[in-house]
Amino acid sequence: MAQESLDATAMKQAAPPRRRGLPFNVALVLPAQLTVLAVVLCPTLIVLWLSITDWQPTSGVTWYQAEPVWHWNFYDLYFDDRFIGALLRTILVVCVCVALELAIAIGLALLFLEEWPWRKLAVSAVILPMMIVPVDAANAFFMLFNERGPINHIISLVIGEAFEFSWLADPDWALLPIMLAEIWQWTPLMFLLVLTGLMNLPENQIRAAIVLGASPARIFFRVMLPLMAPVIAIALLVRSIETFKIFDPVYILTRGGPGAATETISMFMYNGAFVYFRMGYIAAAGLLVLIVVISICLALSKPLKRHHG
Amino acid sequence: MPSGNGNNSGKTRRRFLQGTAATAGLAALAPSFMMRPRRASAATLDDVHMEAAKAAKELAAGRSVTLTIMQPSGSLGNVKPVADKFTEETGIAIEYVEVPLGEINQKVLLEAVSKTGSFDIALPATFGIPDLAESGILVNLDQYAAKHEPEDMQQDALYATGDYYKGNLYGYQTDGDTYVMFYHKDWLENADENKAFSDKHGYALKVPDTWEELDAMMAHFHRPDKGMYGGALFRTQFFIAWEWWVRFHAKGYFPLDDDLNPQINNDAGVKALEELVAASKTLYPGARTNGLFENFEAFGEGDKFCNIGWGGTQKFLNSDKSKIKGRMAHGPTPGGMVDGKLIKTPYFNWGWNYVVSSVSPEPEIAYLFTLYACSPAMSTVAVRDPGGYFDPFRGAHYKDAKITETYSKPFLDAHEDSMRNSIPDLYLKGQGEYFDELRVNLTAADVGEKSPKEALDDTAAAWTRITRRMGKRSQKVQWDFLKSIYPAGVRDILT
Repeated sequence: MAQESLDATAMKQAAPPRRRGLPFNVALVLPAQLTVLAVVLCPTLIVLWLSITDWQPTSGVTWYQAEPVWHWNFYDLYFDDRFIGALLRTILVVCVCVALELAIAIGLALLFLEEWPWRKLAVSAVILPMMIVPVDAANAFFMLFNERGPINHIISLVIGEAFEFSWLADPDWALLPIMLAEIWQWTPLMFLLVLTGLMNLPENQIRAAIVLGASPARIFFRVMLPLMAPVIAIALLVRSIETFKIFDPVYILTRGGPGAATETISMFMYNGAFVYFRMGYIAAAGLLVLIVVISICLALSKPLKRHHG
Repeated sequence: MPSGNGNNSGKTRRRFLQGTAATAGLAALAPSFMMRPRRASAATLDDVHMEAAKAAKELAAGRSVTLTIMQPSGSLGNVKPVADKFTEETGIAIEYVEVPLGEINQKVLLEAVSKTGSFDIALPATFGIPDLAESGILVNLDQYAAKHEPEDMQQDALYATGDYYKGNLYGYQTDGDTYVMFYHKDWLENADENKAFSDKHGYALKVPDTWEELDAMMAHFHRPDKGMYGGALFRTQFFIAWEWWVRFHAKGYFPLDDDLNPQINNDAGVKALEELVAASKTLYPGARTNGLFENFEAFGEGDKFCNIGWGGTQKFLNSDKSKIKGRMAHGPTPGGMVDGKLIKTPYFNWGWNYVVSSVSPEPEIAYLFTLYACSPAMSTVAVRDPGGYFDPFRGAHYKDAKITETYSKPFLDAHEDSMRNSIPDLYLKGQGEYFDELRVNLTAADVGEKSPKEALDDTAAAWTRITRRMGKRSQKVQWDFLKSIYPAGVRDILT
C-alpha cells in the first residue's frame, strides 16, 4: 500500500508540468470583456456611489471623498415637483410624439408601398428632415412659432385679422411646437422602419385574403398589421428610447420654460448636472429614470416575446 | 467700506457705535483691501500698469512665459488691445480660449474637477465667484494684492463688491454691468401727453423715481391699437428675476434675514410680484420671448416708452441702427418709498471679473496681468472698444472722450450714478440654484400658472432647502459679509 502511494507520487513528479494559463477561448474574449467592464461597469458603480452622496465639484472635494447622504437624494426627488413634473411631461411627450409618428409613418409607408413615378425621389424628400442637425431643426421651429413668425402670419391671413400669440411663452401651448419639431424630424425614421417591414410582408397571405374577398381595411387590420407587430414594436422601442432623451428642441425653443412648463427629464438633468453641478442628486435621478426606461422597454418588447413564442 | 457704495456721513451715533462694535466682530470678514497689511508700494493708481508690467517682467526674466486667458466669446475686442500692450512691455505671450458667453462659469468650474491647466486667467461672470471660490479653482489674491496693489485701487472702482468672497479678494471687476433705464424722451416731453397724464395722476411725466410711477407711465402710453407700447422690459425666464429683485429691494427688505430665512415671500415680495405681473400687460408682444439682442432692437424701433438694460443696450441704441438715437432720457432703476423716504436700489447683475486659476503654474504673473488690465489706464483702453462687452467702471472712464462718444453723456451720468449705488446679486454659493428657483416661479406667476404668493412661497421653500444643503453656517458667514458691503445708503434702510 505504501509502495503504491510512493509510485503514484513518483509518477506525479515525473509528469511534465501543466501550463497554467487562461483557456484559449477565455483569452480571446477577455480584452473585449474588460473593455466593456471598464466603460459600463465602472461608470455605473460611480453613478451608484454618487447617487448616495451629495457631491458637487464646487465643494472642493473629489468625488470619491464625498460624504454619503444615503437615501436622502431619493427622498428629495420623491418630493421634488420639478423632477416629477419633468418625468411625467417626458412620458407625455413620448406617448404623443411616438404615437403620432407611428400613425403618420404607417400612412406614408402605405402610400409608398406601390411603385409610382418619382417614388424614389419622394422617399428621399420624406426622409430629409432626419438628416438635418437637430439644433438647426429646432431653430427653424423657433422662427416658425415666433409671435411675428410665419405660423401667426398664416393664421392672421386665415382669420382676416392680426394674430399675435406667443406660442413659446404660453405654458398651455409651449409644448406643442416642441412636439411638432420632434415629430417632423423623426417621423422619417419611423417611416423607413415601417416601409421596410411592409415591403417584406409575405405576399401569399395578402393574396389569399384578396381572393377570399376581404376589404382593403380588413386586410390591413387583420393580416398586415399583425404580421407587422414585431417591426412596429422595434420601431416604437427605438423611438420611445430616443424621444425619452429629447433635449435639442426643448433647449432651443424654450429652455424648459415658461416656468418649468416644458422642462423634460433631459433638460432637468442638464440643468442639475452641468449648470448647478449637483452630481449626486442627478445621479440618483438618472438611476430612477433608468428604471422607468427599462420598464417601458420591457413593456414594449412583450409583443416580440409573444412573436417568438 | 468698499468705495462706490455711497456716503457714510449720514450715520447716526447709534449706528456708528453699532458699526464700531461690528467692525471688531467682522475684522476677519471685512473687505481685504481694508484689512490687508501692505508693503510700502511704490505703485499709484496712475502708474500701477507700469509697475505691474515691470514686476511681471522681472518674474519672467530669462524664461519663456505664456499666459492663457479663458474669456467669453465676443470680448476679444476688450481684452486683446490690453494684452498686446502687456506682451509688448513684458515679453510675456498671451493666448486666448473663447467659450460661449453663457457657459464660461461652467467651464471654469469644470477645471476645478479636471485640473487640466488649460488657462491661467479667466473672465467669469461676477455672480459665479462664490461657487468658483468654494471649488478651489480660484487663487485667493490677497497675498499678491498686498504686494502689488496700490492703496486706492479698489476704492477707485465704482463697484468692487463682487470681487470678494468671505472677505477675501478673488478677482477684479472689469465691466460695469449695472441696470439702467431708457425712456423715450419725445414722449416724456410731449405737452399733450403731459397734460393728459398729470390730469389723471396729479404729477407731470418725468424720469420716474418709483416703480409705481413707472408702472403708471407705462400704462398711460400703452396703446397697442395705435402701435404704441408701454415698455420693453424683459419677461423671458432668464431676465425676469432681475427686475423683481430691484422692485423687491425698493420695498425695503433684504432677501434673507439674519438667520438666512427667506424674506422674499413677505407682503412686500408679494406686492412687488403683483406689480410686476400687472406691468406685463403694458409691454410689447415680444417681451416674453425676446432675448437681449431682440430686446434692444425692439426698443430701437422707437414705439415703446421705456426699456431696461446695460451699457451694451446703450451702444446699440446710440448707433445709427437705432431709430431712437439721441431721443432718449436715462435714469437709474426706479426705487420705492420706505418709511416716507425714497430709496433707490440700482442693481449690478452681471459683469465680467478677472480671476486667476489655482492650477496656473504662474499665478503671480497671471495676477499681475489682471492688475495691469484693470488699472485705470489700461481698463480705459479696454472699455473704449465699441463692439465689446466691457462697460465703464472707473471714474477715469467717464471722462474719456472716446467712451463718451460711444455711450453719450446723459447715459454715462445715469450709469455712473447707478454704479456708485448698486446693490449686489445674491453672491452666495449656489447663486445659480437660488436664482433658478426664483426665475421659474416668477415666470409661473407672470403667465398665471401660480399666484404671486404661491410662487414666492415655493421659492422660499426651495431656498431654505438649498441653504440647508449648501451648509447654513458657511452661507451665513458670506451673507453677513455681503450685507455689510451693501451700499451704505441702502443698507441702513433695508430690513
